[in-house]
Amino acid sequence: MLVLVVVTALGFDFTNGFHDTGNAMAASIATGALKPRLAVALSAAMNLLGAFLSVAVALTVTNAVVKTFDSTATSASQALTVPGDKLLSIVLAGLIGGIVWNLLTWLLGLPSSSSHALFGGLMGAAIAAIGWNGVNWVGDGTKLDGVVGKVLLPAVASPVVAAIAAGIGTWLIYRITVGVAARFSESGFRWGQIGTASLVSLAHGTNDAQKTMGVVTLALIATGHWDHLDSIPFWVKLICAASIALGTYLGGWRIIRTLGKGLVEIESPQGVAAEASSAAVILASSHLGFALSTTHVATGSIVGTGLGKPGAEVRWAVAGRMVVGWLLTLPAAGVVGAAMWGIGNLFGLAAGSIVQFVILVAVAGYLYARSRRQPVGAHNVNDAWDAGTTSPTIPTGAAA
Amino acid sequence: MSAFNDDVRLAGEAIWKVLLVSAVLGAGLPAVFALGIRSLAWGTGGEARAGSTSPGRSGSPVGKVLAVFLFVVVAYAIVAGLIYIIASGQGKDISFSHVVPTIGGTS
Repeated sequence: MLVLVVVTALGFDFTNGFHDTGNAMAASIATGALKPRLAVALSAAMNLLGAFLSVAVALTVTNAVVKTFDSTATSASQALTVPGDKLLSIVLAGLIGGIVWNLLTWLLGLPSSSSHALFGGLMGAAIAAIGWNGVNWVGDGTKLDGVVGKVLLPAVASPVVAAIAAGIGTWLIYRITVGVAARFSESGFRWGQIGTASLVSLAHGTNDAQKTMGVVTLALIATGHWDHLDSIPFWVKLICAASIALGTYLGGWRIIRTLGKGLVEIESPQGVAAEASSAAVILASSHLGFALSTTHVATGSIVGTGLGKPGAEVRWAVAGRMVVGWLLTLPAAGVVGAAMWGIGNLFGLAAGSIVQFVILVAVAGYLYARSRRQPVGAHNVNDAWDAGTTSPTIPTGAAA
Repeated sequence: MSAFNDDVRLAGEAIWKVLLVSAVLGAGLPAVFALGIRSLAWGTGGEARAGSTSPGRSGSPVGKVLAVFLFVVVAYAIVAGLIYIIASGQGKDISFSHVVPTIGGTS
Protein backbone atom coordinates (compact mmCIF):
# COMPACT_ATOMS: atom_id res chain seq x y z
CA MET A 1 0.00 0.00 0.00
CA LEU A 2 2.91 2.33 0.74
CA VAL A 3 4.27 1.63 -2.74
CA LEU A 4 0.90 2.59 -4.23
CA VAL A 5 0.86 5.86 -2.29
CA VAL A 6 4.39 6.72 -3.41
CA VAL A 7 3.62 5.91 -7.04
CA THR A 8 0.40 7.96 -6.88
CA ALA A 9 2.25 10.86 -5.27
CA LEU A 10 4.78 10.78 -8.08
CA GLY A 11 1.90 10.69 -10.54
CA PHE A 12 0.52 13.83 -8.93
CA ASP A 13 3.94 15.47 -9.08
CA PHE A 14 4.10 14.59 -12.77
CA THR A 15 0.70 16.16 -13.54
CA ASN A 16 1.75 19.14 -11.43
CA GLY A 17 4.77 19.54 -13.70
CA PHE A 18 3.01 19.52 -17.03
CA HIS A 19 0.02 21.43 -15.72
CA ASP A 20 2.23 24.32 -14.67
CA THR A 21 4.71 24.53 -17.55
CA GLY A 22 2.55 27.26 -19.02
CA ASN A 23 2.84 29.47 -15.93
CA ALA A 24 6.47 30.14 -16.68
CA MET A 25 6.72 29.50 -20.38
CA ALA A 26 3.41 30.37 -22.06
CA ALA A 27 4.41 33.98 -22.72
CA SER A 28 7.86 33.05 -24.05
CA ILE A 29 6.41 30.46 -26.39
CA ALA A 30 3.62 32.74 -27.61
CA THR A 31 6.00 35.58 -28.48
CA GLY A 32 8.53 33.28 -30.13
CA ALA A 33 11.26 34.22 -27.65
CA LEU A 34 11.91 30.51 -27.27
CA LYS A 35 11.06 27.59 -29.52
CA PRO A 36 8.37 25.47 -27.81
CA ARG A 37 10.62 22.43 -27.31
CA LEU A 38 13.49 24.52 -26.01
CA ALA A 39 11.17 26.41 -23.66
CA VAL A 40 9.85 23.28 -21.96
CA ALA A 41 13.37 21.83 -21.74
CA LEU A 42 14.65 25.00 -20.06
CA SER A 43 11.67 25.03 -17.72
CA ALA A 44 12.21 21.35 -16.85
CA ALA A 45 15.89 21.94 -16.10
CA MET A 46 15.02 24.91 -13.88
CA ASN A 47 12.35 22.89 -12.07
CA LEU A 48 14.79 20.04 -11.48
CA LEU A 49 17.36 22.47 -10.15
CA GLY A 50 14.77 24.25 -8.02
CA ALA A 51 13.51 20.99 -6.51
CA PHE A 52 17.04 20.11 -5.42
CA LEU A 53 17.85 23.57 -4.15
CA SER A 54 15.09 23.65 -1.62
CA VAL A 55 15.82 21.60 1.45
CA ALA A 56 13.38 23.35 3.74
CA VAL A 57 11.13 20.71 5.24
CA ALA A 58 7.69 20.62 3.69
CA LEU A 59 6.18 18.07 6.05
CA THR A 60 3.72 20.57 7.35
CA VAL A 61 2.33 21.37 3.91
CA THR A 62 -0.59 18.97 4.29
CA ASN A 63 -1.06 20.12 7.85
CA ALA A 64 -2.15 23.52 6.63
CA VAL A 65 -5.45 22.03 5.50
CA VAL A 66 -5.91 18.70 7.30
CA LYS A 67 -5.33 17.81 10.93
CA THR A 68 -3.20 14.74 10.51
CA PHE A 69 -0.09 15.88 12.14
CA ASP A 70 0.91 17.49 15.41
CA SER A 71 3.71 19.88 14.61
CA THR A 72 4.60 20.37 18.27
CA ALA A 73 5.55 16.71 18.69
CA THR A 74 9.21 15.91 19.07
CA SER A 75 9.36 12.49 17.42
CA ALA A 76 7.86 11.44 14.14
CA SER A 77 5.92 8.48 15.47
CA GLN A 78 4.18 10.65 18.07
CA ALA A 79 3.30 13.38 15.60
CA LEU A 80 0.52 11.47 13.87
CA THR A 81 -2.93 12.29 15.16
CA VAL A 82 -4.67 9.51 13.22
CA PRO A 83 -3.60 5.85 12.87
CA GLY A 84 -0.96 5.31 10.19
CA ASP A 85 -3.00 3.12 7.85
CA LYS A 86 -5.96 5.50 7.98
CA LEU A 87 -3.69 8.45 7.26
CA LEU A 88 -2.22 6.55 4.34
CA SER A 89 -5.63 5.95 2.79
CA ILE A 90 -6.60 9.62 3.29
CA VAL A 91 -3.43 10.69 1.51
CA LEU A 92 -4.00 8.21 -1.33
CA ALA A 93 -7.61 9.31 -1.83
CA GLY A 94 -6.56 12.97 -1.72
CA LEU A 95 -3.81 12.45 -4.28
CA ILE A 96 -6.20 10.68 -6.65
CA GLY A 97 -8.65 13.59 -6.29
CA GLY A 98 -5.86 15.99 -7.21
CA ILE A 99 -4.68 13.97 -10.20
CA VAL A 100 -8.16 13.48 -11.66
CA TRP A 101 -8.94 17.20 -11.45
CA ASN A 102 -5.55 18.12 -12.91
CA LEU A 103 -6.11 15.80 -15.88
CA LEU A 104 -9.64 17.02 -16.48
CA THR A 105 -8.66 20.69 -16.46
CA TRP A 106 -5.70 19.88 -18.69
CA LEU A 107 -8.06 18.24 -21.20
CA LEU A 108 -10.16 21.41 -21.18
CA GLY A 109 -7.05 23.59 -21.46
CA LEU A 110 -7.82 25.32 -18.18
CA PRO A 111 -4.91 26.53 -16.06
CA SER A 112 -6.01 25.62 -12.55
CA SER A 113 -3.97 25.45 -9.40
CA SER A 114 -2.28 22.11 -8.73
CA SER A 115 -1.88 23.03 -5.07
CA HIS A 116 -5.61 23.65 -4.77
CA ALA A 117 -6.30 20.31 -6.45
CA LEU A 118 -4.09 18.54 -3.90
CA PHE A 119 -5.53 20.47 -0.97
CA GLY A 120 -9.08 19.92 -2.21
CA GLY A 121 -8.53 16.18 -2.57
CA LEU A 122 -7.01 15.92 0.90
CA MET A 123 -9.80 17.98 2.44
CA GLY A 124 -12.47 15.83 0.80
CA ALA A 125 -10.82 12.63 1.97
CA ALA A 126 -10.30 14.02 5.47
CA ILE A 127 -13.94 15.12 5.77
CA ALA A 128 -15.11 11.68 4.65
CA ALA A 129 -12.72 9.89 6.97
CA ILE A 130 -12.63 12.04 10.10
CA GLY A 131 -15.52 14.48 9.70
CA TRP A 132 -15.68 18.28 9.41
CA ASN A 133 -13.28 18.59 12.31
CA GLY A 134 -10.61 16.82 10.28
CA VAL A 135 -10.07 19.97 8.27
CA ASN A 136 -7.99 22.84 9.57
CA TRP A 137 -10.38 25.62 8.52
CA VAL A 138 -8.79 28.71 10.06
CA GLY A 139 -5.53 29.65 11.71
CA ASP A 140 -4.99 30.25 15.41
CA GLY A 141 -4.78 34.02 15.05
CA THR A 142 -1.00 34.28 15.28
CA LYS A 143 -0.12 33.50 11.69
CA LEU A 144 -1.82 32.76 8.41
CA ASP A 145 -2.91 29.15 8.51
CA GLY A 146 -5.75 26.83 7.65
CA VAL A 147 -7.92 26.71 4.57
CA VAL A 148 -8.95 30.36 4.80
CA GLY A 149 -5.48 31.76 5.44
CA LYS A 150 -3.39 29.47 3.26
CA VAL A 151 -5.76 28.76 0.38
CA LEU A 152 -8.82 30.97 0.02
CA LEU A 153 -7.54 34.49 0.76
CA PRO A 154 -4.33 34.15 -1.27
CA ALA A 155 -6.35 32.75 -4.17
CA VAL A 156 -8.51 35.86 -4.25
CA ALA A 157 -5.67 38.32 -3.72
CA SER A 158 -2.80 36.96 -5.78
CA PRO A 159 -4.24 37.29 -9.32
CA VAL A 160 -5.29 40.88 -8.55
CA VAL A 161 -1.88 41.80 -7.16
CA ALA A 162 -0.11 40.19 -10.12
CA ALA A 163 -2.44 41.90 -12.60
CA ILE A 164 -1.77 45.32 -11.05
CA ALA A 165 2.01 44.86 -11.11
CA ALA A 166 2.00 43.51 -14.68
CA GLY A 167 -0.36 46.24 -15.82
CA ILE A 168 1.87 49.00 -14.46
CA GLY A 169 4.95 47.31 -15.92
CA THR A 170 3.39 46.95 -19.36
CA TRP A 171 2.18 50.54 -19.39
CA LEU A 172 5.64 51.84 -18.40
CA ILE A 173 7.42 49.71 -21.00
CA TYR A 174 5.22 50.91 -23.83
CA ARG A 175 5.55 54.52 -22.69
CA ILE A 176 9.32 54.28 -22.55
CA THR A 177 9.92 52.45 -25.81
CA VAL A 178 7.44 54.40 -27.91
CA GLY A 179 9.07 55.22 -31.23
CA VAL A 180 11.95 52.76 -30.84
CA ALA A 181 12.32 50.56 -33.91
CA ALA A 182 10.83 47.10 -33.58
CA ARG A 183 14.13 45.36 -34.27
CA PHE A 184 15.49 46.69 -30.99
CA SER A 185 12.48 46.25 -28.80
CA GLU A 186 11.53 42.77 -30.08
CA SER A 187 14.98 41.19 -29.83
CA GLY A 188 15.87 42.97 -26.60
CA PHE A 189 12.70 41.96 -24.83
CA ARG A 190 13.06 38.39 -26.01
CA TRP A 191 16.26 38.13 -24.01
CA GLY A 192 14.52 39.69 -21.08
CA GLN A 193 11.79 37.08 -21.32
CA ILE A 194 14.20 34.16 -21.20
CA GLY A 195 15.68 35.48 -17.96
CA THR A 196 12.39 36.19 -16.23
CA ALA A 197 10.78 32.92 -17.38
CA SER A 198 13.71 30.95 -15.97
CA LEU A 199 13.24 32.66 -12.61
CA VAL A 200 9.57 31.69 -12.53
CA SER A 201 10.43 28.05 -13.37
CA LEU A 202 13.05 27.90 -10.65
CA ALA A 203 10.68 29.35 -8.08
CA HIS A 204 8.05 26.80 -9.16
CA GLY A 205 10.47 23.92 -8.67
CA THR A 206 11.42 25.05 -5.19
CA ASN A 207 7.78 25.43 -4.13
CA ASP A 208 5.82 22.69 -5.81
CA ALA A 209 8.18 19.72 -5.78
CA GLN A 210 8.40 20.24 -2.05
CA LYS A 211 4.70 19.55 -1.58
CA THR A 212 5.00 16.05 -3.03
CA MET A 213 8.18 15.42 -1.07
CA GLY A 214 6.25 16.33 2.07
CA VAL A 215 3.38 13.99 1.18
CA VAL A 216 5.70 11.04 0.40
CA THR A 217 7.64 11.60 3.63
CA LEU A 218 4.38 11.78 5.56
CA ALA A 219 3.43 8.38 4.09
CA LEU A 220 6.82 6.97 5.09
CA ILE A 221 6.33 8.21 8.65
CA ALA A 222 2.82 6.78 8.74
CA THR A 223 4.17 3.32 7.91
CA GLY A 224 7.15 3.63 10.22
CA HIS A 225 9.76 3.69 7.45
CA TRP A 226 11.12 7.09 8.43
CA ASP A 227 11.46 8.75 11.80
CA HIS A 228 12.86 12.22 11.27
CA LEU A 229 10.78 15.37 11.37
CA ASP A 230 13.50 17.66 10.13
CA SER A 231 14.76 15.92 7.02
CA ILE A 232 13.58 14.17 3.86
CA PRO A 233 15.19 10.95 2.52
CA PHE A 234 17.46 11.68 -0.41
CA TRP A 235 15.79 9.16 -2.72
CA VAL A 236 12.45 10.91 -2.12
CA LYS A 237 13.98 14.21 -3.15
CA LEU A 238 15.52 12.59 -6.23
CA ILE A 239 12.38 10.92 -7.56
CA CYS A 240 10.17 13.93 -6.82
CA ALA A 241 12.53 16.31 -8.60
CA ALA A 242 12.82 13.93 -11.57
CA SER A 243 9.07 13.44 -11.72
CA ILE A 244 8.15 17.14 -11.76
CA ALA A 245 10.89 17.84 -14.33
CA LEU A 246 9.68 15.04 -16.60
CA GLY A 247 6.14 16.34 -16.37
CA THR A 248 7.32 19.84 -17.19
CA TYR A 249 9.32 18.60 -20.15
CA LEU A 250 6.32 16.83 -21.67
CA GLY A 251 4.58 20.17 -21.52
CA GLY A 252 0.93 20.88 -20.91
CA TRP A 253 0.49 22.22 -24.41
CA ARG A 254 -3.25 22.73 -24.04
CA ILE A 255 -2.74 24.99 -21.05
CA ILE A 256 0.24 26.78 -22.59
CA ARG A 257 -1.99 27.56 -25.55
CA THR A 258 -4.79 28.99 -23.42
CA LEU A 259 -2.43 31.15 -21.37
CA GLY A 260 -0.22 32.27 -24.24
CA LYS A 261 -2.75 32.75 -27.01
CA GLY A 262 -6.23 32.59 -25.50
CA LEU A 263 -6.29 35.37 -22.92
CA VAL A 264 -4.32 38.13 -24.60
CA GLU A 265 -2.29 38.36 -27.79
CA ILE A 266 1.11 38.79 -26.19
CA GLU A 267 4.07 40.71 -27.60
CA SER A 268 7.60 40.40 -26.21
CA PRO A 269 7.48 43.56 -24.05
CA GLN A 270 4.25 42.30 -22.47
CA GLY A 271 5.88 38.92 -21.91
CA VAL A 272 8.70 40.55 -19.97
CA ALA A 273 6.25 42.55 -17.87
CA ALA A 274 4.10 39.46 -17.16
CA GLU A 275 6.96 37.18 -16.18
CA ALA A 276 8.83 39.83 -14.19
CA SER A 277 5.76 40.57 -12.12
CA SER A 278 5.00 36.85 -11.69
CA ALA A 279 8.52 36.29 -10.39
CA ALA A 280 8.29 39.34 -8.11
CA VAL A 281 4.92 38.33 -6.66
CA ILE A 282 5.97 34.71 -6.08
CA LEU A 283 9.27 35.64 -4.45
CA ALA A 284 7.85 38.48 -2.35
CA SER A 285 5.03 36.34 -1.02
CA SER A 286 7.15 33.30 -0.26
CA HIS A 287 9.45 35.63 1.66
CA LEU A 288 6.48 36.91 3.68
CA GLY A 289 5.05 33.44 4.25
CA PHE A 290 2.04 34.13 2.07
CA ALA A 291 1.23 30.85 0.34
CA LEU A 292 -0.08 31.21 -3.16
CA SER A 293 -0.53 29.36 -6.40
CA THR A 294 1.85 29.96 -9.29
CA THR A 295 -1.07 29.43 -11.65
CA HIS A 296 -3.15 32.25 -10.20
CA VAL A 297 -0.20 34.61 -10.29
CA ALA A 298 0.76 33.81 -13.88
CA THR A 299 -2.81 34.16 -15.11
CA GLY A 300 -3.26 37.46 -13.28
CA SER A 301 -0.03 38.77 -14.77
CA ILE A 302 -1.06 37.92 -18.31
CA VAL A 303 -4.45 39.59 -17.87
CA GLY A 304 -2.59 42.60 -16.44
CA THR A 305 -0.44 42.96 -19.55
CA GLY A 306 -3.61 43.06 -21.62
CA LEU A 307 -4.99 45.83 -19.43
CA GLY A 308 -1.74 47.82 -19.40
CA LYS A 309 -1.09 47.93 -23.12
CA PRO A 310 -3.07 50.62 -24.89
CA GLY A 311 -5.43 49.05 -27.38
CA ALA A 312 -4.86 45.45 -26.29
CA GLU A 313 -7.84 43.19 -25.82
CA VAL A 314 -8.43 40.78 -22.96
CA ARG A 315 -10.71 37.87 -23.85
CA TRP A 316 -12.86 38.03 -20.75
CA ALA A 317 -14.85 34.97 -21.80
CA VAL A 318 -11.67 32.89 -21.54
CA ALA A 319 -10.72 34.55 -18.26
CA GLY A 320 -14.21 33.88 -16.91
CA ARG A 321 -13.93 30.18 -17.75
CA MET A 322 -10.69 30.06 -15.81
CA VAL A 323 -12.21 31.70 -12.75
CA VAL A 324 -15.05 29.18 -12.82
CA GLY A 325 -12.42 26.44 -13.01
CA TRP A 326 -10.61 27.89 -10.00
CA LEU A 327 -13.80 28.09 -7.95
CA LEU A 328 -14.58 24.48 -8.77
CA THR A 329 -11.08 23.16 -8.04
CA LEU A 330 -11.37 22.76 -4.27
CA PRO A 331 -14.87 21.27 -4.13
CA ALA A 332 -14.45 19.09 -7.24
CA ALA A 333 -11.14 17.59 -6.17
CA GLY A 334 -12.66 17.27 -2.70
CA VAL A 335 -15.62 15.28 -4.00
CA VAL A 336 -13.31 12.91 -5.88
CA GLY A 337 -11.09 12.60 -2.80
CA ALA A 338 -14.09 11.85 -0.57
CA ALA A 339 -15.54 9.34 -3.04
CA MET A 340 -12.19 7.60 -3.32
CA TRP A 341 -11.93 7.34 0.45
CA GLY A 342 -15.44 5.90 0.53
CA ILE A 343 -14.56 3.28 -2.06
CA GLY A 344 -11.37 2.44 -0.21
CA ASN A 345 -13.28 2.09 3.04
CA LEU A 346 -15.86 -0.16 1.38
CA PHE A 347 -13.27 -2.70 0.32
CA GLY A 348 -11.12 -2.39 3.42
CA LEU A 349 -8.00 -0.31 3.61
CA ALA A 350 -5.59 -2.62 1.81
CA ALA A 351 -7.80 -4.02 -0.97
CA GLY A 352 -9.49 -0.64 -1.33
CA SER A 353 -6.26 1.09 -2.19
CA ILE A 354 -5.74 -1.30 -5.09
CA VAL A 355 -9.31 -0.66 -6.31
CA GLN A 356 -8.68 3.10 -6.06
CA PHE A 357 -5.49 2.80 -8.02
CA VAL A 358 -7.19 0.78 -10.77
CA ILE A 359 -9.92 3.43 -11.00
CA LEU A 360 -7.29 6.16 -11.24
CA VAL A 361 -5.49 4.35 -14.09
CA ALA A 362 -8.79 3.83 -15.92
CA VAL A 363 -9.86 7.49 -15.59
CA ALA A 364 -6.43 8.75 -16.59
CA GLY A 365 -6.40 6.43 -19.60
CA TYR A 366 -9.85 7.61 -20.68
CA LEU A 367 -8.93 11.29 -20.40
CA TYR A 368 -5.71 10.69 -22.30
CA ALA A 369 -7.56 8.87 -25.09
CA ARG A 370 -10.01 11.76 -25.21
CA SER A 371 -7.14 14.23 -25.61
CA ARG A 372 -5.80 12.38 -28.65
CA ARG A 373 -8.89 13.31 -30.65
CA GLN A 374 -7.67 16.88 -30.92
CA PRO A 375 -4.02 16.85 -29.93
CA VAL A 376 -2.24 20.05 -29.07
CA GLY A 377 1.52 19.89 -29.18
CA ALA A 378 4.65 21.84 -29.98
CA HIS A 379 3.62 21.97 -33.64
CA ASN A 380 0.33 23.82 -33.25
CA VAL A 381 0.55 25.48 -29.85
CA ASN A 382 0.78 28.96 -31.41
CA ASP A 383 -1.91 28.62 -34.08
CA ALA A 384 -4.31 31.53 -34.31
CA TRP A 385 -6.93 31.57 -31.57
CA ASP A 386 -10.39 31.06 -33.02
CA ALA A 387 -12.78 33.13 -30.95
CA GLY A 388 -15.78 31.42 -32.53
CA THR A 389 -15.11 28.09 -30.86
CA THR A 390 -13.55 29.74 -27.79
CA SER A 391 -10.88 27.08 -27.77
CA PRO A 392 -10.03 24.57 -30.46
CA THR A 393 -8.67 22.31 -27.78
CA ILE A 394 -12.11 21.35 -26.53
CA PRO A 395 -13.53 18.28 -28.23
CA THR A 396 -17.10 18.96 -29.31
CA GLY A 397 -19.55 17.75 -26.74
CA ALA A 398 -16.99 17.64 -23.95
CA ALA A 399 -17.40 21.26 -22.92
CA ALA A 400 -19.99 20.36 -20.34
CA MET B 1 -15.36 33.40 14.06
CA SER B 2 -12.56 35.54 15.50
CA ALA B 3 -10.00 33.14 14.08
CA PHE B 4 -11.47 33.84 10.66
CA ASN B 5 -11.15 37.59 11.25
CA ASP B 6 -7.55 37.12 12.35
CA ASP B 7 -6.82 35.31 9.10
CA VAL B 8 -8.39 38.13 7.09
CA ARG B 9 -6.44 40.76 9.03
CA LEU B 10 -3.13 38.90 8.65
CA ALA B 11 -3.76 38.36 4.96
CA GLY B 12 -4.55 42.04 4.53
CA GLU B 13 -1.25 42.99 6.12
CA ALA B 14 0.66 40.57 3.90
CA ILE B 15 -1.14 41.56 0.69
CA TRP B 16 -0.11 45.21 0.99
CA LYS B 17 3.53 44.27 1.37
CA VAL B 18 3.39 41.85 -1.53
CA LEU B 19 1.67 44.45 -3.71
CA LEU B 20 4.26 47.09 -2.86
CA VAL B 21 7.25 44.84 -3.53
CA SER B 22 5.70 43.44 -6.71
CA ALA B 23 4.90 46.88 -8.07
CA VAL B 24 8.43 48.15 -7.40
CA LEU B 25 10.31 45.07 -8.63
CA GLY B 26 7.81 43.53 -11.02
CA ALA B 27 7.02 46.76 -12.83
CA GLY B 28 10.16 48.76 -12.04
CA LEU B 29 12.73 46.32 -13.39
CA PRO B 30 11.02 45.86 -16.76
CA ALA B 31 10.85 49.66 -16.96
CA VAL B 32 14.60 49.91 -16.34
CA PHE B 33 15.10 47.24 -18.98
CA ALA B 34 12.94 49.23 -21.39
CA LEU B 35 15.05 52.33 -20.69
CA GLY B 36 18.12 50.23 -21.51
CA ILE B 37 16.64 49.22 -24.84
CA ARG B 38 15.77 52.82 -25.59
CA SER B 39 19.33 53.87 -24.76
CA LEU B 40 20.69 51.12 -26.97
CA ALA B 41 18.58 52.33 -29.86
CA TRP B 42 19.77 55.88 -29.20
CA GLY B 43 23.39 54.70 -28.95
CA THR B 44 23.20 52.77 -32.20
CA GLY B 45 21.57 55.62 -34.04
CA GLY B 46 20.66 55.39 -37.69
CA GLU B 47 17.40 53.66 -38.25
CA ALA B 48 16.83 52.84 -34.63
CA ARG B 49 13.92 55.22 -34.50
CA ALA B 50 10.89 54.17 -36.41
CA GLY B 51 10.30 56.61 -39.26
CA SER B 52 13.68 58.27 -38.88
CA THR B 53 14.41 60.76 -41.65
CA SER B 54 18.20 60.60 -41.40
CA PRO B 55 19.17 56.98 -41.97
CA GLY B 56 22.92 57.61 -41.97
CA ARG B 57 23.11 59.33 -38.57
CA SER B 58 25.74 57.87 -36.29
CA GLY B 59 24.80 56.86 -32.75
CA SER B 60 25.76 58.37 -29.46
CA PRO B 61 28.37 56.56 -27.34
CA VAL B 62 26.64 57.92 -24.24
CA GLY B 63 23.59 55.89 -25.21
CA LYS B 64 25.60 52.69 -25.45
CA VAL B 65 27.25 53.20 -22.07
CA LEU B 66 23.92 54.03 -20.50
CA ALA B 67 22.35 50.92 -22.06
CA VAL B 68 25.09 48.67 -20.69
CA PHE B 69 24.72 50.24 -17.26
CA LEU B 70 20.94 49.74 -17.21
CA PHE B 71 21.24 46.12 -18.39
CA VAL B 72 23.77 45.48 -15.62
CA VAL B 73 21.26 46.86 -13.08
CA VAL B 74 18.59 44.44 -14.34
CA ALA B 75 21.05 41.51 -14.44
CA TYR B 76 22.11 42.30 -10.88
CA ALA B 77 18.49 42.22 -9.74
CA ILE B 78 17.91 38.86 -11.45
CA VAL B 79 21.06 37.34 -9.94
CA ALA B 80 20.03 38.71 -6.54
CA GLY B 81 16.65 37.05 -7.03
CA LEU B 82 18.31 33.73 -7.89
CA ILE B 83 20.59 33.90 -4.87
CA TYR B 84 17.58 34.74 -2.75
CA ILE B 85 15.67 31.64 -3.95
CA ILE B 86 18.67 29.40 -3.42
CA ALA B 87 19.53 30.84 -0.01
CA SER B 88 15.99 30.69 1.31
CA GLY B 89 15.75 27.12 0.00
CA GLN B 90 18.71 26.27 2.20
CA GLY B 91 17.05 28.00 5.15
CA LYS B 92 19.55 30.85 5.23
CA ASP B 93 19.00 34.52 5.77
CA ILE B 94 20.23 36.86 3.11
CA SER B 95 21.32 40.47 3.39
CA PHE B 96 21.27 43.04 0.62
CA SER B 97 22.76 45.79 2.78
CA HIS B 98 26.07 45.43 0.97
CA VAL B 99 26.04 45.73 -2.81
CA VAL B 100 26.95 42.07 -3.14
CA PRO B 101 24.27 39.92 -1.50
CA THR B 102 25.73 38.14 1.49
CA ILE B 103 24.34 34.91 2.83
CA GLY B 104 24.01 35.00 6.58
CA GLY B 105 23.54 32.27 9.16
CA THR B 106 20.62 29.92 9.45
CA SER B 107 17.48 31.77 10.38
